Amino acid sequence: MGGSALTEAPPGGARSPSGDLGRLAFGFLAVSALSGLALVPFFSPAHALESLERLHDGMPWGFFLRALHAYSSFGLLVTTVAHLVQVLARRTERQLSAGAWWRSVLLFPLTFLALLSGFVLRGDAAAAEALPVWSRIAETVPFLGPELQRLLLGVIPGDVGAISLHHAGTFTFLLWLITAEHGRRLVPDARSLVLAGLVSAALAGAVPLTLGPPPGASPSGAAQILLGPWYLLGLQGALVDLPVPSAWLAPLLLVLLLGFVRGADGRARRLLLVLAGAWVAAWVGFTARILLLAR
Amino acid sequence: MSSRRDFLGELWRGTGGALLAASALILHRALRAAAPAPRETTLSAEAVSRAIAEGGAEWGDLFVTGPPSAPAALSLACTHLGCRVRPASSGGFACPCHGSRFTADGSRTAGPARASLSRALLERRGASWVARL
Repeated sequence: MGGSALTEAPPGGARSPSGDLGRLAFGFLAVSALSGLALVPFFSPAHALESLERLHDGMPWGFFLRALHAYSSFGLLVTTVAHLVQVLARRTERQLSAGAWWRSVLLFPLTFLALLSGFVLRGDAAAAEALPVWSRIAETVPFLGPELQRLLLGVIPGDVGAISLHHAGTFTFLLWLITAEHGRRLVPDARSLVLAGLVSAALAGAVPLTLGPPPGASPSGAAQILLGPWYLLGLQGALVDLPVPSAWLAPLLLVLLLGFVRGADGRARRLLLVLAGAWVAAWVGFTARILLLAR
Repeated sequence: MSSRRDFLGELWRGTGGALLAASALILHRALRAAAPAPRETTLSAEAVSRAIAEGGAEWGDLFVTGPPSAPAALSLACTHLGCRVRPASSGGFACPCHGSRFTADGSRTAGPARASLSRALLERRGASWVARL
């Protein structure tokens, strides 16, 4: 990748709305990475909840820093999805090579993994329950399940040290690498970075985030359900009714559907998009399912 | 006919691929060998007696219950996806993740869990009980 290729305009052109959303997604990724870096000195994987409580209650602007990190991550997810929708609506996916398109599609599971690992690092009751769920799901992957589970979650049960390294290192590095290739820039442009920072900061100031009760605490509400992060409620709802392997089969199916869109024409493309739409509708339905169960 | 440069490029790529595959194999073997050993939890006889007197109590990942001569310990890990079940207001246990329900003796009654809660093997060792899961 040459130096000029790193700073040239991304596919879609400077005035393309999908290009704007893509650049904004890169801005959110950068804000998330920078705020995550700022959180590193305050976070201890061995005392996750305790260290975050100290950050919240004992450090000036500590709550803001953590909320900035979280909201920029949410912004990354939302703008990435919106960018994909616009790319598909404008049929601009062929501006990328086939390989680059497949790698770009992998940004979705990677973003979810990055967000989920961040959620687990909270160390509160809901986060503590997400850990065994993630572990059991990984174990159901054929042939490589237990090894994959240990690679992602570490070999010490209940310890989040490996996850914290993946969160800050592996997932962030891969997200940045693929995003840079996708956008043909090593770093986001100043406008996207400032805009993403301002939106994240406004949300962090206006809607502060709280930490949940410590691990083992009983959930509130008659149904006694601990809700996971908002972006994974569909998965939580699906696991009430569907077999456990659906937790990795369903994302794999979506990746394949989106990946093959680039090479498909006419009816085949329409069919793939209808199936992807049905996937999203099912996700929304399962989100409603778990919310109703938790009431 | 390929040039010397092409040949060397292919050679470097092939060597890199082989090294990557070898590294992945080594990592795979190391991860396979790192299977966690069966867990043992030591419970003091006094704590067990107190738990039984209270009608059962949580001890780490276990729920210890009576009778005093032959106490039983249920694993609090839901058999669906491993979330920690909590005592339910209606009696028995409830999983906070996906709503599975279990009776007080650990039998599954509702929800996506397919099996009852596991029972730990309790063994008397001196003044203590050792639970093995």
